[in-house]
Amino acid sequence: MDLGFKGKVALVTGAGSQIGFGKAISLLLAREGCDAVAVTDINLDDAEKTAEALKALGCKSIAVKADVTNKAEVQEMVKKVVAEYGKIDILLNVAGGIMGGGPLEEQKEEIWDKEIALNLKGTILVSQAVLPHMKKQNYGVIVNIGSGSTHMYSHGVGTYAMAKAAVDTFTKQLATAEVKSGIRVNCVAPGPSPTNFIKAPDKQAVIDMLAKEIPMGRGATLEDIANASVFLASDVSSYITGQVLHVSGGSVM
Amino acid sequence: MDLGLEGKVALVTGAGSQIGFGKAICLTLAKEGCDIVVNDIDLGNAQKTADEVKALGRKTIAVKADITRKAEVDAMCKKILAELGRIDILVNNAGGMHLGAPDFIDAKEETWDKDYALNVKGAMFCAQAVIPGMIEHKYGKIVNITSSVAKQAFPRVSTYAMAKSAMYVFTRSLAGMVIKQGINVNSVAPGWGLTNFDPRPHEEIKRGFIPETPRAKETTPQDVANAVAFLASDVSAHVVGQILCVDGGSTMQ
Repeated sequence: MDLGFKGKVALVTGAGSQIGFGKAISLLLAREGCDAVAVTDINLDDAEKTAEALKALGCKSIAVKADVTNKAEVQEMVKKVVAEYGKIDILLNVAGGIMGGGPLEEQKEEIWDKEIALNLKGTILVSQAVLPHMKKQNYGVIVNIGSGSTHMYSHGVGTYAMAKAAVDTFTKQLATAEVKSGIRVNCVAPGPSPTNFIKAPDKQAVIDMLAKEIPMGRGATLEDIANASVFLASDVSSYITGQVLHVSGGSVM
Repeated sequence: MDLGLEGKVALVTGAGSQIGFGKAICLTLAKEGCDIVVNDIDLGNAQKTADEVKALGRKTIAVKADITRKAEVDAMCKKILAELGRIDILVNNAGGMHLGAPDFIDAKEETWDKDYALNVKGAMFCAQAVIPGMIEHKYGKIVNITSSVAKQAFPRVSTYAMAKSAMYVFTRSLAGMVIKQGINVNSVAPGWGLTNFDPRPHEEIKRGFIPETPRAKETTPQDVANAVAFLASDVSAHVVGQILCVDGGSTMQ
């Protein structure tokens, strides 16, 4: 199925991790024919590794360092990408992270602030910076990465899941606000996956343990998440907006 | 994107209408390499769709069956297995809407029974008939075409919307039941389309409902077919029990 990515420019945040969703999505966008995929991460070396992998596929790419929780850095990053490629058609808000958890009475306010800044404010700031460029061309697709944890309450109290629930709401609000501007906004909500979000060294072992509770009996692969994200980023899904698509092997229905 | 559908056998119910979602689903799956069984209660119409599938170079048969009758559904599946050997994909597309009485107190039990039989029981019979074969192959995809009206409240109490709501729950409960046997069950929920579905004239629908949708555009058969192709493929293997609304942002909850 031709996803119609020819000539399109995409920006993927949090694309530095070499075992993360951001890189997998970037590579799939390139394979499906995107003209250029700009990758950003708080760690420039990592982002450059992803950019190299993209170039090896024959896709144009630049790596830009930015802390998505810092408005000035986000504005600067978007400016750089637009200066390089002239536009941004597709934005993938992948940057995020889990920092907190544990019993509520032991949790620190500082961690809440950081978790909410990274997972929610970062997504809003990048969208805000990219929006004028999409509006100018009356075309844009934003895909936010949410989380199945928004509907799984047995993992304790955590601002990560709360921030991701806010991302769901942001998705729907922005989708409604910009629907007449030719901009679609959707969200992919992954279930557990062996990325850096799992702190233990043997990530797959943790996923295999969690998999007992997943109806499908396995965790999400990077490809599972990339496939859904790229589907929603393409014009093949041009009538889909404001939706949260759970890719969690049936954990959330 | 290679959806990996080459050589798969798909049964699409209610695919006789030449302006309906079912026909677009048949043609899209055929273009992706599926062999197609076209079902309809009207064999002449099903044959018209099958002729177009054939022109795309795929194997196809048209089969008449009233899906609200278990014996006819079972006979249809037996015929398909005899001729094509297997059913990998079932798209429960057949459905219909009775407008019913404007005033609830005048609503007729007969209309309720018809809406439930066509929109719920029919899909359940079809799923029941294909699942044993899918379990045998440890592979299957079931995509139920529902409707985003099940998320909305219209002035007329509609057993059609209630029936589609029941199909949401059927999708989720069946998904949880058969996922361990390698069968994915999901649903595509379209918004207003200009098909034969709504008995009112297209002009009335265009004036009355479509301008109120966020994008002021109707759901096209191709919009629905694209989403079905995604959910009928292994690209969405980790998507289980989901309701994907393809309604231009009419419903986001």
